Amino acid sequence: MTETALGAAAGAAAVQSPAADELELWPALELCGVRKRWPKAKEPVLAGIELELAPGAVAWIAGSNGAGKTTLLRIVAGLLAPDGGTVRLDGMAPDRERAAYQRAIGLISAGDRGLHARLTVRQDLGYWAGLAMLGRAAGRAAVERAIEAFDLGGLAGHRVDRLSMGQRQRVRIAMAFMHEPRLLLLDEPTTSLDEEGRACLHAAVAERVAAGCAVLWCSPTGERPGVPLDAQYALVGGRLAAA
Amino acid sequence: MSAALIAGRATLAVVHRDAQIFLSYRTRVLSQLANAIFTLTLFHFLAQLVHVDTFDSPRAYFAFVTVGVVILQVLSSCFGTPALVRQELVAGTFEKLVVSPFGALRGIVALTLFPFLYSLLLGSATIALATLLFGLQIDWALAPLCLPLAALSVLAFLPFGLLFAALTLVVKQSAVGTTWVIALLSLVGGLYFPVSLLPAWIRWVSEVQPFSTAVGLMRHLLVDSPLHASPWVGVAKLAAFALLLMPIAIATVSAAIRVGRRRGTILEY
Repeated sequence: MTETALGAAAGAAAVQSPAADELELWPALELCGVRKRWPKAKEPVLAGIELELAPGAVAWIAGSNGAGKTTLLRIVAGLLAPDGGTVRLDGMAPDRERAAYQRAIGLISAGDRGLHARLTVRQDLGYWAGLAMLGRAAGRAAVERAIEAFDLGGLAGHRVDRLSMGQRQRVRIAMAFMHEPRLLLLDEPTTSLDEEGRACLHAAVAERVAAGCAVLWCSPTGERPGVPLDAQYALVGGRLAAA
Repeated sequence: MSAALIAGRATLAVVHRDAQIFLSYRTRVLSQLANAIFTLTLFHFLAQLVHVDTFDSPRAYFAFVTVGVVILQVLSSCFGTPALVRQELVAGTFEKLVVSPFGALRGIVALTLFPFLYSLLLGSATIALATLLFGLQIDWALAPLCLPLAALSVLAFLPFGLLFAALTLVVKQSAVGTTWVIALLSLVGGLYFPVSLLPAWIRWVSEVQPFSTAVGLMRHLLVDSPLHASPWVGVAKLAAFALLLMPIAIATVSAAIRVGRRRGTILEY
């Protein structure tokens, strides 16, 4: 096992979550030599990313605008295919075991898109529960849990296009958490959130980490996540460097 | 719970969402019913001008064209898939389909269901309005068979919509193409006038697509129009189109998703 993985596993233990003692010692997420070059670009945006993340570990990837953080998260999420290298989550590859792989991923993408403006918050969450293939009873329970966890009770019947940006971000975050993923990919998740929203996010992250979920948090350099970190990296020149 | 059942529920979630969004525009149903009434009224009066050997009476032409209008509604619902995919791309909701366990491919196929179901409802309403307002004579004994025929027709039509959806994923634009295809089929598919009126050199087009067959069978069931061959020949033809084209269309959409993921264009719009 690499230093990174050991460090991450030790970090997970430092969170002192009940499930941490039971964590397996192999990495939840393993990236080997992940490369990506955009058509017509001179330099690759990702030039051989190596990363191991243990279950229950939280890693922060910082970088300047355009450094490739979003591209990296999109590759891990299965949205984009890398030009080379491998991505494994609990031994699964996004191409080979697609449905099981996606079931294990929770993604908050950067920006404010991905919601249905004409649906209510509850309808939008219910739609995602369906896409996450949770089943009827589990889906309903997940929607109610998400509404409670992100303090959306007063907004559940409101249409999304009538919410503020911060309220919409809470809905987007709730969607990423509601199917209880084993890897959370958070791309600038605190965008537009107020203090209360950040507190909801931090509590939800802590709860998932306690259950053994690994977290990859990306944000611009200087915008530290407000959660305990097990590893920090800077994405520079298409490569990850320990920060 | 079986994987098929869970996938079925995910499909229903897409249909349910589309219905919720559709119904959130409260006047849409009324405006489309009003459109149907305007169209039927137009053809009711145009039919009064029709005195040709092909039709026994103006009433016969009105029955002919009403079924053509209904099939056009079903046809348009199938060709609406590319626009729906583009709408998902623009709203950023396509990303949710891609990263979901349900997946982009099944998601795109599921996107076709609500428009099809709605076109059936609208088509039924159009027939009902034609009956109530303009005295269209329906063969009620055979009318229930229109439902399985419509389902088979959609399976034969849908691959065309899926192929254009694949094009949308790759080049982001295909609205012009679908408009042209629908316009072309309106002309040569026998929707508004019999194919026999077309110049001989273009009639072959009605043989190499499923739309003329579907509209012919539907007319036979609803208004007792004569067929040139056994109805089972038409059914077999529709089934052959579906069996041949559906795997090709699904493989093409799948390839378009792979290309989009590799080139990084899957989320562009």
